[in-house]
Amino acid sequence: MRMRLKLKTVFVLYFMVSLLGLIYALMQLGQRCDCRDHDMSRDVQISQLRGELQKLQEHIKTSELSKKNDVPKIFVITPTYARLVQKAELTRLSHTFLHVPQLHWIVVEDAPQPTPLVTDFLAASGLTYTHLHKLTPKDRKLQEGDPSWLKPRGAEQRNEGLRWLREMGAAAKGKEAAGLEEAVVYFADDDNTYSLQLFEEMRYTYRVSVWPVGLVGGMKFERPVVEDGKVVRFHTGWRPNRPFPIDMAGFAVSLRLVLTNPQARFDGDAQMGFLESSFLQNLVTMDDLEPKADLCTKVLVWHTRTEKPKMKREDALQKQGLGSDPDVEV
Amino acid sequence: MLKRRDVLALFLILLPWALLVTLWHQRAVNPLIPVPKDNRTGATRRGYRLHESCITENKRNTKATQMKYFHQRPPPWSDTLPTLHVITPTYSRPVQKAELTRLTNTLLHVPNLHWLVVEDSAQKTALVSRLLENTGLNYTHLNVETPENLRTQKKPRNVRIPRGTMQRNLALRWLRENINPNSSHKGVVYFADDDNTYSLELFEEMRWTRKASVWPVAFVGGLRYESPKINSQGKVFGWRTVFDPRRPFAIDMAGFALNLQLILSKPQAYFKLKGVKGGYQESSLLQDLVTLRDLEPKAANCTKILVWHTRTERPLLVNEGKKGFTSGNVEV
Repeated sequence: MRMRLKLKTVFVLYFMVSLLGLIYALMQLGQRCDCRDHDMSRDVQISQLRGELQKLQEHIKTSELSKKNDVPKIFVITPTYARLVQKAELTRLSHTFLHVPQLHWIVVEDAPQPTPLVTDFLAASGLTYTHLHKLTPKDRKLQEGDPSWLKPRGAEQRNEGLRWLREMGAAAKGKEAAGLEEAVVYFADDDNTYSLQLFEEMRYTYRVSVWPVGLVGGMKFERPVVEDGKVVRFHTGWRPNRPFPIDMAGFAVSLRLVLTNPQARFDGDAQMGFLESSFLQNLVTMDDLEPKADLCTKVLVWHTRTEKPKMKREDALQKQGLGSDPDVEV
Repeated sequence: MLKRRDVLALFLILLPWALLVTLWHQRAVNPLIPVPKDNRTGATRRGYRLHESCITENKRNTKATQMKYFHQRPPPWSDTLPTLHVITPTYSRPVQKAELTRLTNTLLHVPNLHWLVVEDSAQKTALVSRLLENTGLNYTHLNVETPENLRTQKKPRNVRIPRGTMQRNLALRWLRENINPNSSHKGVVYFADDDNTYSLELFEEMRWTRKASVWPVAFVGGLRYESPKINSQGKVFGWRTVFDPRRPFAIDMAGFALNLQLILSKPQAYFKLKGVKGGYQESSLLQDLVTLRDLEPKAANCTKILVWHTRTERPLLVNEGKKGFTSGNVEV
């Protein structure tokens, strides 16, 4: 009897104390504890931080991106050529592409052989890529001092990209071929600006999909005009009577269409502004175009152009033999 | 002799105490991650308000955008990495949205980044507000309008101020007002203009800045690149530039980063507004903060280019005409 009484009071006592302790602990949960007495040496701390950084970086690379395997692939063809801003342009372009799942970047250099700059860059980019090269014949190439609109640029390189795709498409078998059924091809110049939403819009393209492009054709944006879900005409300030008055960045083509039309290519001799038409008119009619970007009312890609950096001091130094170290890659 | 009942009683008494003790012991070794709360008061907690509010903000944003493009999400916040406070002044022009979009695409790869976007405007614009909301980045949106009489064009040199000065100063002030210098918050401040190009490596190089770090910048000063001159002891002793290499800090805005504590400990240091010669803007801030000896060279002892001072062409909107050919309702 005596034992029981003792137990009861003890139980009540410890219950009250534990309850108070629990409440106190729960209140403490919201506060930051004062942990300044972690007396680690600086080097150990730095190495710990670096290790943490490594972990985070690896996490980025192997994150959901790789898990998303069931969406159609996007093949992006980018013609590029050597000039001062090339590495910068490719760098910021790669940052955009790294966010897009199932993207395969086809970089085609306007060069007789692959350059070390692009080779090393692509290897370090973290992207899935194919590195090609095709030299533009001299008579089609823009000379120093030519205005940029004089000759169409990148036609040979884009055709080379298409050729590679057709080769790959023909060689693909079984599961790989099935994966390419719904793939999409997009022509992305290395100086434009692309939003991430754009790639999700173009991903589901049956034939050819289209959308507005900002800052092109001398206007804030050019766009297809959509009525009842179909493209009826194009809103552009310059030569609207072209078969397809649309910028290279304003459309995407399904890979299936590219593979089933092996003769479709860009005409390097086309008149100014007709490069896109030379390719599209063999593939699709205006009626078949699929409007994206909220029925072509949103601008998701901008035709930005980068200034040529002023090199007058560099040139002056070079003349004196005091130019900057050519081993430093810019 | 102990009865079974007594043993049972003793065990039941000791069990919760043992649990409590282990719980306390756990906390002493691993601090609990604070649960973000909405109403935070007290100066000591201010330092964490930043990243905690950002965590909840990120969580909210990522849930909303998860349907379409979850890959945009910035890397998870780490409690041990120093925070990079990136200050970007911006102003309204046709390429603004494009510039901010591609800068966003770069910044989304950088862990523990806090983006301070300061508009040169009287009010925060809808364009920038919407853009920032949709990125999922940890950001602070500020604005201050440069008075008309101080803008760059059409004014004599000694009156106008370089673009972005007032905006950068506002961001510095925000940092000083919102981060407690006594908190253990570790951070680095970097001034990133919205038209430059930044490699991801650059952000990791600057993260470990103790006082001030420097590196080469491409396409400035009419050269392929400008860089600090490093001696055999790994210290900066001069500047490899053609344009006025005798400046105290002959370096571009994109070529240096400062430890946050340095900014907080010298609250009087700002970019000078008036009487600053061309090219001396960076010096006007740095000379109040560091000496050449304090500078830490990065980018493999200043031999690699990790940032390019690119400039975007102004688009020729010749076909818009007087009334505007394109619809004003479409945001570009």
